[in-house]
Amino acid sequence: MTDDLLRSPLHEKHQALGAKFAAFGGWQMPLEYAGGGVIAEHTAVREAVGVFDVSHLGKATVRGPGAAEFVNRCLANDLDRIGAGQAQYTLCCDDATGGVVDDLIAYRYADDHVFLIPNAANTAEVCRRLAAVAPAGITVTDQHREYAIVAVQGPRSGALLDRLGVPTDHGYMSFVDATVDGHPVVVCRTGYTGEHGYELVIASQYAPPVWDALLAQGADLGVRPAGLAARDTLRTEMGYPLHGQDLSMEISPVQARAGWAVGWKKPEFWGRAKLVAEKEAGPARRLWGLSASGRGIPRPGMAVYVGDTQVGRVTSGTFSPTLKRGIALALLDTAAGLAEDAEVEVDVRGRRSPMTVVKPPFVTPSVK
Amino acid sequence: MIPDDLRYTAEHEWVRPSGGTVRVGITDFAQDSLGDIVFVELPEPGRTVTAGESVGELESTKSVSDLYAPVAGTVTARNEALSDAPDLVNRDPYGEGWMVEIELADPSVVAGLLDAAAYEKITSQG
Repeated sequence: MTDDLLRSPLHEKHQALGAKFAAFGGWQMPLEYAGGGVIAEHTAVREAVGVFDVSHLGKATVRGPGAAEFVNRCLANDLDRIGAGQAQYTLCCDDATGGVVDDLIAYRYADDHVFLIPNAANTAEVCRRLAAVAPAGITVTDQHREYAIVAVQGPRSGALLDRLGVPTDHGYMSFVDATVDGHPVVVCRTGYTGEHGYELVIASQYAPPVWDALLAQGADLGVRPAGLAARDTLRTEMGYPLHGQDLSMEISPVQARAGWAVGWKKPEFWGRAKLVAEKEAGPARRLWGLSASGRGIPRPGMAVYVGDTQVGRVTSGTFSPTLKRGIALALLDTAAGLAEDAEVEVDVRGRRSPMTVVKPPFVTPSVK
Repeated sequence: MIPDDLRYTAEHEWVRPSGGTVRVGITDFAQDSLGDIVFVELPEPGRTVTAGESVGELESTKSVSDLYAPVAGTVTARNEALSDAPDLVNRDPYGEGWMVEIELADPSVVAGLLDAAAYEKITSQG
């Protein structure tokens, strides 16, 4: 099986750093590094700066006259809320069901050029769906392996990139072209950690020297290479959904509180009719946060109870390194009438663990 | 890497005999596989345990695993320090990260546990 997995252009760098690997969306990616571990890596991102290889994320270009307008007729968020040089979190929904094919970031370069960053496992499907309805003159190109993506996240991320001579003072969710040692990179003020941070899109062949420069220049800033295990604890503390767990073909944006990423006033986007109807009727279940009162750590799939009645299930759950207790995202039945501060129990391997219903984030974000 | 003065089980636990009592912990291989350990649940002193019985839990950021009694006997002590500092298991698995002490029901069973060479074979087979 392992032999079938794709490898990042930084794979050998991770091996040299003693990484443990795991499969993510068909890619073999670093989970954590020797001498680090998820808690040290998580803490480095919250308090200093962490560098993540997220090259498994997809990359695709939609180009041609009216490309932005075309993307805006398909994807859920309103691309006209942003201008050239800005990026946006958006959703690719299924037109028939309103389910989420993928959540992704769209970079608006120009009216005729949009760059997309879907999730690894969904890139081919997003490209297929867009290409299937693209008007003549608009091309959809899957560039999954052409680029690496390195996320530089944490309160010292700006200081680290300053040393590489990369612009850092552009606004949240905007991007600029730059170079590192003569290699072109796109620097976007985005991330998935809740910290001030940047994501660098780099042609694959130039990724290793940029990675080396980040780690070398950041030594006295407390930089650590951070794996995808820390990325998961960081994003869970923010309540950011992970596609396949908290958002999926079965979990709509209305249920997952991702309605903010839907351009409700747009006349057209995939899934509009279903989603508008669900929003008006009210969703049958909704994503909430759960915060453990005791030692139980909720895990995906665990059942949530009030008394003897199951009222939902955990979609993401982990130990929060910042709060030092279990936290979860859980879909709770609307019919149960639960709201913030409600007390529930999670069946943790046959034992009931008390948890409190909360509205994420669990930890205050500082992305701006 | 694997101390040769200890005995081991196939469940990646170590046993340090001392008179009629053994001290028990998990191996370096085990803590490395688990990742950062965040909660350790250990049996109460006084509890009678049988060999192979699940007597506690080790939970890391990503998963949970059982702690098995490597030998039969009575729990005489547990490492209370792990309650506040579970990371001792990661930092010093053969020392400060010990878990319980068990008074052996039958002291002769220790000789039947794996020695360091036999345990190393298990870990190298992955």
